[in-house]
Amino acid sequence: MDWKIRRFGQGLFTVWAVVSLTFFITRMMPGNPVDAFVAQIGPELENPQEAYELAETYMNINPEAPLHVAYRDYMISMVQGDLGRSMSQNAEVTELMAEAVPWTLFVMSWAIAISFVVGISLGAIMAYWEGSTFDTAVTGYATTVTSIPFYVLALLLLMVFGYQLGWFPTGGRQPSGVEAGFNLPFMLGMIHHAALPVFSMLVASGAASLTMRGNSVRILGEDYLRVARLRGLADRTIAVRYVARNAILPMYTGLMIAIGTMFGGAVVLEEIYTYRGMGYYMIQAVRMRDYPLMMGAFTVITIAVVIALLIADLTYGKIDPRAGGENREAF
Amino acid sequence: MTISQSAAQADRPNGDVIMELDDTSVEFGMSRGRSRVLNGVDFEVSRDEIVGVIGESGSGKSMFASAMLDAVPEPGVTTGDVTYYPEDDDPVSVTDLSKEELRRFRWEEVSMVFQGAMSSFNPVLKIRTHFVETLSAHDYNVERGLERVRELLEDLYLEPERMLESYPHELSGGMKQRVLIALSLVLDPEMLVMDEPTAALDLLMQRSIISLLHDIQDKHDLTIVFITHDLPLVANLADRLAVLYAFEFAEVGPADDILEDPAHPYTRALLNATPNLSAPLEEMRPIEGESPDPVNIPEGCSYHPRCPIADEMCRSHDPDAYDAGADHDVHCHHWEDSIENIDNALASSGSMDRSRRTAADRSADEEPVVSLDDIEVEFGSENDGLLDFGDSEIVTAVDGISLDIYQNDVVVLVGESGCGKTTLGKTAVGLQQPTDGTIEYKGRDIWEGSGNSSTLADKEIRRALQIVHQDPGSSLNSHHRVRTILETPLKRWHSDLDGNDRRERILGMLEYVGISPPEDYIDRYPHQLSGGEKQRVALIRAMLINPDLILADEAVSALDVSLRVSTMDLMIELQDVFNTSYLAISHDLSNARYFAEKTGGRIGVMYLGELVEIGSPEQIIHDPKHPYTQALRWATPELDRDEDIDDNPMRTIDVPDQTNMPSGCRYHTRCPKAREVCRTQKPELIDRSDEDGVQHTACFRALEDHEYWDSEPIAEEPPAAEETGSAD
Repeated sequence: MDWKIRRFGQGLFTVWAVVSLTFFITRMMPGNPVDAFVAQIGPELENPQEAYELAETYMNINPEAPLHVAYRDYMISMVQGDLGRSMSQNAEVTELMAEAVPWTLFVMSWAIAISFVVGISLGAIMAYWEGSTFDTAVTGYATTVTSIPFYVLALLLLMVFGYQLGWFPTGGRQPSGVEAGFNLPFMLGMIHHAALPVFSMLVASGAASLTMRGNSVRILGEDYLRVARLRGLADRTIAVRYVARNAILPMYTGLMIAIGTMFGGAVVLEEIYTYRGMGYYMIQAVRMRDYPLMMGAFTVITIAVVIALLIADLTYGKIDPRAGGENREAF
Repeated sequence: MTISQSAAQADRPNGDVIMELDDTSVEFGMSRGRSRVLNGVDFEVSRDEIVGVIGESGSGKSMFASAMLDAVPEPGVTTGDVTYYPEDDDPVSVTDLSKEELRRFRWEEVSMVFQGAMSSFNPVLKIRTHFVETLSAHDYNVERGLERVRELLEDLYLEPERMLESYPHELSGGMKQRVLIALSLVLDPEMLVMDEPTAALDLLMQRSIISLLHDIQDKHDLTIVFITHDLPLVANLADRLAVLYAFEFAEVGPADDILEDPAHPYTRALLNATPNLSAPLEEMRPIEGESPDPVNIPEGCSYHPRCPIADEMCRSHDPDAYDAGADHDVHCHHWEDSIENIDNALASSGSMDRSRRTAADRSADEEPVVSLDDIEVEFGSENDGLLDFGDSEIVTAVDGISLDIYQNDVVVLVGESGCGKTTLGKTAVGLQQPTDGTIEYKGRDIWEGSGNSSTLADKEIRRALQIVHQDPGSSLNSHHRVRTILETPLKRWHSDLDGNDRRERILGMLEYVGISPPEDYIDRYPHQLSGGEKQRVALIRAMLINPDLILADEAVSALDVSLRVSTMDLMIELQDVFNTSYLAISHDLSNARYFAEKTGGRIGVMYLGELVEIGSPEQIIHDPKHPYTQALRWATPELDRDEDIDDNPMRTIDVPDQTNMPSGCRYHTRCPKAREVCRTQKPELIDRSDEDGVQHTACFRALEDHEYWDSEPIAEEPPAAEETGSAD
């Protein structure tokens, strides 16, 4: 029990550290966003003093307050879920995020699920037929795919399937002219729009298949596998319970870390497909020098990664009995 | 086929044969050529007997085991006939079975216990699942099966429910091994093939399992084929013994005949080369040379390159089985001569006889080279506050040990795994910083000035204290040539030598330790050396630094039986040349005895972080005062068949939990002689030295007037579930 609290504490610490960092960057850096904001807005206003109040509305930071007071107020508003107000979108950052994040999650969870399922299946088959033509071919494929950056693949897919063949929409996240909600045309449209972004992320399956292949080959040489065969267990039992389960175990934390990577990748991907998710807004924010929105997106990504790792850590003991004890390290 | 062959088979009792191998070979295709790892073997196993199959590593013994279940790993190919005779059914040709028939045959008729019990279980499944899977895969009734499992586990002195609900990693090595034996018996097979089932276990656990096997075999009418490299281990257990050499049987016969009157020169040599507790040291002799490579088996008798009585006939003709008595076959042309001449031939190959100082001669005022004073080493994390919410979990590996090591001295530490012998050794050579106590090298504290760093500040002391590891394969850098490996210490410590001098010195050393031609070896990589050669290179590497003390951590345990004695002899010889001392670590009392007795050193017995007895080998072996030493003595297998192995001098098989040490004398939980006072009071080392040798014992029984003698015995408690030693 103790280590769970400890892990949770460490997660909280990370989030606190990142949020504090955003505060100090925003507030303390020379030419920091707050000063820039005041300098930019101030002259246009009748009463330049209002610029400071506006700064507090948008960024939760009152430039006139002493540092510790400003920090306290900033943290309090953060805990209350107030991420400030976006200047370019003219809306609460929290609302923008709440609206955009589900779309990103939709694409990313499918991307992760499909690439791991494909990767693990390919890897398992490669290990089973180790040394065969299939093995060599897929190893070649996996190496190639892994070395292609996902955004290059995204551009290629967009060019071929979006513009030349016209099979998939070239942008947007939902069909136009269909009422949003739980109806079939809308759902299909969603999938249709998400397909290309999801396939772009399939590059991750290459690395997954190679890892799975390596793990499986190692397990195939284990003594307990030989004993299981001699004990006369069915091939299916051996393949699933003995090989697959033990080979997938080390990939579990990798999967959770992939979530973090994918959130980062969403920034570029959503820009390419003009898919209005969290990453899209983040690029917009950078372009418009919309610091509140940028910091908000940054905070959300951090929290998402911390949560994913926390889940990985807390559940690892459930799937691997050896890691269930006290004082263990899952990574 | 020669006449001798048919004669040998004719007088075999046409008793009940359960398994017959006829001209069985196992081959692997390798890039270097075809590798024959079992070479046309004929063998019969009778019903309800225990056959011990003895062979060194690389003699084909594991392949022999696998061939009986047609379970040779791919791409190995089994040829010849393997026939199984069920009790009242038609014979079955194992090699011709279909996949499904083979699946049923294995485990239901013949099952197997592997070398690696540690890794024979799926780490993510509970022990219960392993049993249930096996039962349902063979369509057995799971409920009734589990009843049988519980009974089996109880017979093996395990708590059935606790075992079934555990994951494999939660069990100790000895428990896993016993659970694996239960797993192999779950379908009530007729025959059990055990391939080195105890190799990875401690002496005490090995012995306990061997004595359990006797009862199990009796109770379940089993036929057991017990395969091992350790001759004394099966000497007591087996009805018949078979000796494998270079992928063929050298000799097969009743255990008594083989042990008392071996006919094959190899068997004789092996018996002499095996360190044991009772035979005089002069009778122990190494076997010259090494086992052949499976790609390149010598023409004629495969043993002739190492055999002192080999002649032209041996070089050209492979001997078939000669009849050397009832049921006793030997594959040697000169078996009759062998009995008479081999000992003479071996004796003339020279034996070392040097007078040495013994521990008793050492004057008390001699200054020790390394002196340990009240050393304590703790492992584990203490709660370091703030962001650490973990519990403190401290294991005391070494608890208050004082030990002086003199010049040219030898101290061998023995004990079960986890007793702290390696930690103490590493502490003595400055590889592990003690949590308490001091280590002095010639009067200087070795950790002085090192602060919190883990390396010694004084380079001179670092040079003086060296280590030789157990596994030479991993202690030599596989990417460096022998030359580079040996040059490194010379460059570091003898910077005055130039390249030529260094080369000369290395060549000289290689030659000295019997690696010749050295010019050929100096440019090799470690993987091009045999196990014995690697260990010799590792030894030279330590010696070239001219250390005052070498920690030899199980330095011979990874080597073949036939190489152990020669390696120990070499270490002793090098000691004289380089004037060093050894702190050796061994789990094997026979090796410890050989090493300590030959050098006049001391044996120290450790138990749970404490030194319970230390003294000259004569005293420790022949007159052990501490009950734990007596238990170790019991656990060391002997070639003497008359010994009674059922008389286990311990109350429990398993070692207590180290995070929760027993109070008082730590051995009281297992000690048969423990009394109430042992629970509360801790005995100090008591000097029991006499004119025969030094001896210090940490047991109240060493004192004549102690309240121990008036205390109530605690051994009379009702037998616990873990207790063993039931004589049947």
